[in-house]
Amino acid sequence: MIKLKHVYKIFFPNTANEVLALNDMNIEINPGDFVTIIGSNGAGKSTFLKVISGIETVDEGTIEVAGQNVTGDPEYKRAKYIGRIDQDPMASTASEMTIEENLAMAYMRGKRRGLHQGINAERKQMFQEALADTGLGLEKRLQVPVRTLSGGQRQALALVMATIAEPKLLLLDEHTAALDPKAAKQVMDMTHKIVAVKKLTALMITHNMEQAIQFGNRLIMMHRGRIILDIGQEEKARLTVSQLIEQFTAASGTAFADRVLLS
Amino acid sequence: MTTGMQQGLIYGFMALGVLLTFRILGFPDLTVEGTFPLGAAVTAKAVVEGVDPIMAVILGGLAGALAGASTGLMHTKLNVNNILAGILTTSGIYTVMLRTMGRPNIPLLAHTNFFDWVFMMVGLSSENFSFLQYQVGTILILLVMVTAVRAGMGWFLGTDLGLTIRSTGNNEGMIRSLGVNTDHTKLLTLMISNFLVAFSGALACQSQGFADVGMGIGVLVAAIASVMVGEMFFGHKGLSRLLTGVILGSVIYRTLLAIGIRLNLPAEDFKMVTALLVLAALVLPNLKIKSKKTKVSEKIRLSGCGGDKND
Ligand SMILES: Nc1ncnc2c1ncn2[C@@H]1O[C@H](COP(=O)(O)OP(=O)(O)OP(=O)(O)O)[C@@H](O)[C@H]1O
Ligand SMILES: [Mg+2]
Repeated sequence: MIKLKHVYKIFFPNTANEVLALNDMNIEINPGDFVTIIGSNGAGKSTFLKVISGIETVDEGTIEVAGQNVTGDPEYKRAKYIGRIDQDPMASTASEMTIEENLAMAYMRGKRRGLHQGINAERKQMFQEALADTGLGLEKRLQVPVRTLSGGQRQALALVMATIAEPKLLLLDEHTAALDPKAAKQVMDMTHKIVAVKKLTALMITHNMEQAIQFGNRLIMMHRGRIILDIGQEEKARLTVSQLIEQFTAASGTAFADRVLLS
Repeated sequence: MTTGMQQGLIYGFMALGVLLTFRILGFPDLTVEGTFPLGAAVTAKAVVEGVDPIMAVILGGLAGALAGASTGLMHTKLNVNNILAGILTTSGIYTVMLRTMGRPNIPLLAHTNFFDWVFMMVGLSSENFSFLQYQVGTILILLVMVTAVRAGMGWFLGTDLGLTIRSTGNNEGMIRSLGVNTDHTKLLTLMISNFLVAFSGALACQSQGFADVGMGIGVLVAAIASVMVGEMFFGHKGLSRLLTGVILGSVIYRTLLAIGIRLNLPAEDFKMVTALLVLAALVLPNLKIKSKKTKVSEKIRLSGCGGDKND
């Protein structure tokens, strides 16, 4: 589903502040995989997802999504196959527009947008059904501006928006990190369900090691722009948080010093 | 009064255009200072060349759309800062206007104007009208036109395409992640907006009976003032109220100006007063209403979140 070959991303090249955010990244991800991604701050996790979605261009290497070389494609072209959610609850929805308007825009992902009314009875019905699955009661509030929703409700809406048009790929960049524990759990459970039901290929960055172990069928750890650990389904099922930290220390040669949650 | 009303409706088209860029797209488009007289200049030239006034007014509007495209392309394709792109286009427009008209102004009093033409089309001869009848007649024509444009805009902003324009202004990164080329939405919006502004200029030239390269000076601030008046009284209650509000705002603003002139207030001070009022309107709410606003949003938040009271 995704293939990165020798991908490099350098910020501020040839200056004192040069950052090698992706340093010869190579990875192949199969259709239906749910990969959790962990790593210390500045490891390049977000950059990894951004070069896949096309927010950032690569300096070297190639990226394939769904069998197509998308390396040179702008973000809006790749968006046809890719749904994504950011850590910031403000980022993935349009706050001044209503829930139904947000969903209408998401529903048209990858389709030609013309002069049809964005909201009609048929679409409303569909939006209500999709929102009802979240169990937050949002389906009764279609005409409410998104700015009035709580962070958790916004991320839940973002999740529905990212998946309503059946993308091939779902990219999640710490999408529950800004939420309180209860909302985070709700959104995470919902994510798990949607990925399973829609059989999506998903990549999820998280700082919560337990979450990284609990969800998905593959776990990768990044450090200084590279993948230093790649753990498959069977090994992951037996893994504990302390083992994971040991493995990190061994593979990176540094202690795990960052805001990782050891809960 | 009737003059103020008539002017307010004419400038209402411009206010709608300015609303579209400044408020909905979040693009401070200064092109409009040039687009307004451009619409007038092209219309005047066309009328002098024997084009019928309705066609001439539409040509004026289309010239504006081209100016909008120029600013839009500079900004999206050449990465020129949005304000600078508008200034560059405006500067170019002055040359285009002078070249088009061949001189700084064209009087049109000898030609049948847009409104006479419309009266003729509905079988009326405006020559027999009293001054008041004529005024009321033009106001009716303008009212029908502006209502149609307002309805069209309301409809358009609700379409799939219209939604992308609104979200480009609200959260550009998000709509791009949904597969929209925001360069295109910006370009389209600038063209529509500048069409409306030039159309407004074209009608102003038809109603005043002349076109002048200087007639754009200060129209932007006046339009912003109109948008603000509209927002103050009718905004924040949904898009459709806002569209109507902005037209009413324009009528209120122009009526106040007309009253000011009646009262022999010094006309040379109006632009400064308008600028100061806009400044006050921009600054005061930020200082005062902030505390109120958070309260309102808190209320909405509390009443709206049945599901997660414990959050
Ligand atoms: N737009 C940018 N401009 C300059 N440097 C950047 C930019 N984005 C990321 N970087 C740098 O690239 C490196 C990798 O950043 P990235 O955001 O991918 O890390 P991350 O693994 O997501 O970290 P975190 O856990 O803190 O989110 C960092 O050193 C960061 O400072
Ligand atoms: Mg990150």
